[in-house]
Amino acid sequence: MDTLATDEIIVERALTGDAEAFGELVRRWERRIFALAYGMLGREEDARDATQETFLAAFRNLRGFRGDAKVSSWLHRIAVNQCISRQRRSKIRGESALEEEHETSFTTPRSYSPARVAEGRQETAAVRRAINSLPVELRQVVVMKEFEELTFREIADALDLPLSTVKSRLYTALKQLQMRLQKFESRN
Amino acid sequence: MNEIQNSPGCERASDLIAFFYGEAGEHEARDFQLHLQQCKSCREEVASFGDVRESITAWRDEALAGFISTPMTAPPKTKSALAALRQFFDLSPLWLKGATALAAVTFCVLAGLALFRSNNNQVSSTKVYTEQDVARIVKEAVAQQARVQPPVETPSPENIAVNRSKPKPKSSRASSSTQFARSQRPLSKEEREQLAAELRLLSSDDDATLHLLGDRINQ
Repeated sequence: MDTLATDEIIVERALTGDAEAFGELVRRWERRIFALAYGMLGREEDARDATQETFLAAFRNLRGFRGDAKVSSWLHRIAVNQCISRQRRSKIRGESALEEEHETSFTTPRSYSPARVAEGRQETAAVRRAINSLPVELRQVVVMKEFEELTFREIADALDLPLSTVKSRLYTALKQLQMRLQKFESRN
Repeated sequence: MNEIQNSPGCERASDLIAFFYGEAGEHEARDFQLHLQQCKSCREEVASFGDVRESITAWRDEALAGFISTPMTAPPKTKSALAALRQFFDLSPLWLKGATALAAVTFCVLAGLALFRSNNNQVSSTKVYTEQDVARIVKEAVAQQARVQPPVETPSPENIAVNRSKPKPKSSRASSSTQFARSQRPLSKEEREQLAAELRLLSSDDDATLHLLGDRINQ
């Protein structure tokens, strides 16, 4: 598979029956989609599921892809929708992954002292909780910006929003996060 | 919908966020830098947003460090057998590679031997015979057949007449090939007895009747 081919060319190939083309698209975007899902959902397991669901949905709707948007924007939109519907489902079931106190078992550098590790964990838990407490429309722009490092234009395309709205939402989100993290710091 | 909740005293939230993320144009960036020198609230805001970003980045890096790419189930990925084999060998340990190589060599040697032997057989089966050879083989075969087969009783003209007048039934219960061959000529006495014994048609008491019948037929 030609790694220099654009996403749009890869989608065209997938539409003509090239079985490996879609795999290439998955390889290109899975990490970023996972990052987005992780930022939105806050739990590795959920993020993995959402990532898989995103690509499944993309594969099923490949024929419905219109060339007027970028493939990346299209994928991000699907991913955001998957995350939102997953959150709704888990709310109905009374789960809230991001509010769980226990941390996921990600590895921590050994050079850190236990006190530093505990402090770091507390901090990341606080960030997680702060992001989770944001309304969905603010959370998705923060995650897309901070986790995926998308430009304002890309976020606007993916969410089908005006550029000014993206900027204002991002500003508001950062402001709210700042206040929540200040609260956390003052408590400790 | 005006979503901008700007800091008190400054209305440049949109410029601030573009500057903060490095997405302002050259002219706008320079303009906002000049503004920052004069606006305390914007300066404080940029600094606090920097802290927020730092915390988010720490969380993101920690989160993504645990991400290991997993094969997606969505696309039905078809891989050529050769590619799959190559991948398998790339992942397998050295001893397995060695064992597989040995097995492959053994297989090739055995396959070569089998091929060689089958070629030899083919050569022997396609042996060319001369005319004398054919004549000799035919003669031998005829002589062997003559030794194996008992002398055939030549039917007498009377027997032929009887056979013509009494056509044999078309179907027989014991219609084996040898019996069919025998039915082409009149049966000798011994053969009739043997046939009757085989079919269990007659008891030993009926032997006398059989003799009489045989005599009558032969007449």
